[in-house]
Amino acid sequence: MLWTLIRHELLMNLMTFRFLVTVIASMSLVLAGSIVLTDNYERRLARYNEGFQRHQEGNFSGKTYSSFMPELDRAPNPLSLFNQGLDKRAKNSLQIRIGKVPFLWGDVSRNTGFSNPFRYLLADIDLVSIFQILFSLLALVFAYDAIAGDRENGTLRLILVNPVGRGWIVLAKYLGAMLCLTLPLLMSFLLTLLLQLQSNAIHYGADDFLRIGGIFLTTVVYTSTFYLIGLFISSVIHRTATSLIVSMFIWVVLTLLYPNVSLFLVNRFIDTEERVKQADQAIDQILEQFYWAEEVPGDPFENPPLLKGSKSSGGSSSYTHLKKNITFIPDASEIHVPTVKAYFQELTSGRIRTANKVWQIRETTFSETYIHKSNIARNALRFSPAGLYHLSTEAWAGTDLARMQDFFKAGRQYRETILDYFYDKKAFSSRQWFASDKGSVRWDDAPRFSYQPPSVFEDASNRALRDLLLLFTLNPMLLMMTFAVFSRQEV
Amino acid sequence: MLWHIVKRELFEQVNSLRFALAMLLIVFLMLVNAVGHIDEYKTQQAEYGQQVSAYSARLEGNSNNLYNLVLNGPGELHKKPSPLSFCAHGSENSLPKFASGERAGWGTIYNISGIWRLKYSGFPSIKAKDIFPVFLKIDWILIISNVLSFLALIFTFDAISGELEHGTLRLTLSNAVARRTVLTGKFLSSLISLGTVFMSGVLVNLLLLYLSGTLQLNVQEWSRIGGIFVVGLIYIAVFIALGFLISTLVNNASTSLVILLLIWVIWVILVPSMLGTIMSGLNQPSIRRGPSPVYFRYSGLRERYIARGLEDEALTRERPPTPATLLWAEFLNEEAREGARLHRAYLNAQINQIQIAREFNRISPTAIAQYAIESLAGTGFQRHLDFLKNAERYADVFNDFLIAADRADPDSLHVPFVREGMSDKPVSFESIPKFQDRVRLGDAFKGAMLDVMLLLLFFTVLFAAAHVSFQRKEI
Repeated sequence: MLWTLIRHELLMNLMTFRFLVTVIASMSLVLAGSIVLTDNYERRLARYNEGFQRHQEGNFSGKTYSSFMPELDRAPNPLSLFNQGLDKRAKNSLQIRIGKVPFLWGDVSRNTGFSNPFRYLLADIDLVSIFQILFSLLALVFAYDAIAGDRENGTLRLILVNPVGRGWIVLAKYLGAMLCLTLPLLMSFLLTLLLQLQSNAIHYGADDFLRIGGIFLTTVVYTSTFYLIGLFISSVIHRTATSLIVSMFIWVVLTLLYPNVSLFLVNRFIDTEERVKQADQAIDQILEQFYWAEEVPGDPFENPPLLKGSKSSGGSSSYTHLKKNITFIPDASEIHVPTVKAYFQELTSGRIRTANKVWQIRETTFSETYIHKSNIARNALRFSPAGLYHLSTEAWAGTDLARMQDFFKAGRQYRETILDYFYDKKAFSSRQWFASDKGSVRWDDAPRFSYQPPSVFEDASNRALRDLLLLFTLNPMLLMMTFAVFSRQEV
Repeated sequence: MLWHIVKRELFEQVNSLRFALAMLLIVFLMLVNAVGHIDEYKTQQAEYGQQVSAYSARLEGNSNNLYNLVLNGPGELHKKPSPLSFCAHGSENSLPKFASGERAGWGTIYNISGIWRLKYSGFPSIKAKDIFPVFLKIDWILIISNVLSFLALIFTFDAISGELEHGTLRLTLSNAVARRTVLTGKFLSSLISLGTVFMSGVLVNLLLLYLSGTLQLNVQEWSRIGGIFVVGLIYIAVFIALGFLISTLVNNASTSLVILLLIWVIWVILVPSMLGTIMSGLNQPSIRRGPSPVYFRYSGLRERYIARGLEDEALTRERPPTPATLLWAEFLNEEAREGARLHRAYLNAQINQIQIAREFNRISPTAIAQYAIESLAGTGFQRHLDFLKNAERYADVFNDFLIAADRADPDSLHVPFVREGMSDKPVSFESIPKFQDRVRLGDAFKGAMLDVMLLLLFFTVLFAAAHVSFQRKEI
């Protein structure tokens, strides 16, 4: 019986104008979006590869230990085509410095694939935002007259003459319409995958396909949520015209207004600047104390220079004593080498200490200000299905804040490994720290950096599934409410 | 007769559910806008004041020696914030807040440095606070372009097709009334009812801002707000006309809403927000870095002058000026000119890319209205270009002043701009022209003119089409 009803609903829906519109609109928008986004991704990847090559060669080319200042690149995420999240907005590279713990905070250019600095005047889009707008709207368009329309036509009374439970009717309507909506959605996903895989730049592994599957599932649940909202409205309100108008208002509020209004207010009224300013001052104080006060041992390269007659390569700025490469030391100055060694050892251990102090302040400030604020914003978003959809797909795609932080954490761990490696090699107190005249450093056994992003299961269990479940819970709730209203109604 | 129809339609509309919902929505959003912008302008103003006084202090510091001014330039020239940023935020956060007149940056050759020039940096860098999720700021533009256009469609989708379904249209037309009168009457009543909604929102908004002391506007700014209101009305009229057109073309009210919503989603939401991505595809960036100072040191320019004996002889304060002094002066002038030209060309390349994007964007009335309102509110891209023009004009004035100040010193050789050929006396701080970022009402209206015309064109075409299709409709 249920199957007959579903088939009936399906046929009714498939033959309609709105189904045609759904298919055409979703396919054409996804087509246009995919082409443009794939092109943009290729550009970003090319730029990343260029930087990566350069850094790969440069990172281990230093002749002394002190000139080791590697730069690590974050690859653009192809799944940012689905939900760009922070992928284009966060830092794309990270510098490993002895005197600085790498951090999301700082001035490094972003890799957006379009180097015009005015580009931020133009908005960006991704596939998820197309789905978010389009499919919620289409779901409501499918739902607004599902019950109210049948009631107006009198067909509802006709159906109820048959021995079918009212629950079955609602269920059949829901399943029939969802099949109808899932079809164009599936086609859109296949289309975009087809287009993306045409590109040489994008290679998806099993992990990525699971993530895309997760995004698809979330989109289906999201669409279903909106369909059920529409169905509920349609059961409560008896006239189709009114039901349509109410549905549209609810749509505008849920997808467009609520997310923007809540973020606007959170952004405006949660002030972090004061706290950040305090932290900046504290950091400045620490740095000043170390670099300008007595804590820095006397510079052996100035008045009078100890290694008289030595030659070094590189520029002559005031900070070069941090990155020193002496290529020749005359025999007469050789007796001063131990002093210089001791100087560098003390300086470097001081720098590491300072870096750790600064990092402690940064870490706490960051989590108490910006992360706190963006968490409030994210929680506020969770009150709308559109927000839940966005957050869940962001986590599936791995373009969210947690992923960015994960990358920087890996960078910090790499810095620790390098420091350990230097300790093992006694690099800080070696001649090769500052001079390459007796042979330059061999980097063969130095640890290399590689970033392994967390697997889909980790991302899903930590973040994606939570929001998906929240979104999903709305479905049975709405269905029950519709049942409740519909079963008590006079037809 | 027309008035009769308008009155009837208006009465019906004002009593409808959608009117109540629309009123609620707009007033609420306008309240949110006002609450979000209380004191914002004051903070901006205070910040601007600080920067301007820092600029003055620097200028005063450099005024102890005329040559110092030549070398260091006037410093950072700051953009004046607009008091109307609650109408249009204009992405001011991603635009530079200043242009800087600073040192040439190519170091020194024989103790000689290049003279100052205008540079266009100052783009806000990536910040930790950028981890905040992206959102659309609730300003008047958002309320007008997204919400009011949507309401316009909701108000009109069944204007013809709904009445056709009910049969009331036939009834109306059986009276001795022309079809165009019916259409015009319906149009006017929709415009009046939406205008009322818009007006109430605006009044609530302005009242709240006024009571909180944020809003202290002069006549000029009130006329800007008036202009913005008119642009908003024209924009609403475009969508009402669109609603009528589709409503006459389609016989079924719900089909007409489906079509309208799709047009709306594409026109209002997707086209304007897809553009950034599209442009990055269309325009292969030919510009990566700004003109490097190294260019001047090692490019052909310096070689040409070296061939003419630039570095042969030291500079002196001899009178009359030696050929070496004159040659250096010529080199520095040409180098400064060339440098400024290159910076400008680089900026122009960037601006052109954005201009092309904006031209494309004008296929959507939403973008047109946005540009017009931004122009009127004195924020956004157009305003930034005006600011840059002001800065360039000032750069010329400043250079003229330097030459005039040098002329006034009898001990000087009057060979600008080499140290040895110029006065090295202090100049009075008061006599130095100060940069003032002037905003002209004329510029704002001129900037908005094209967009207003385009909007009117959209409206005329759509309304005429609705008219024609209504005239030919079988009822």
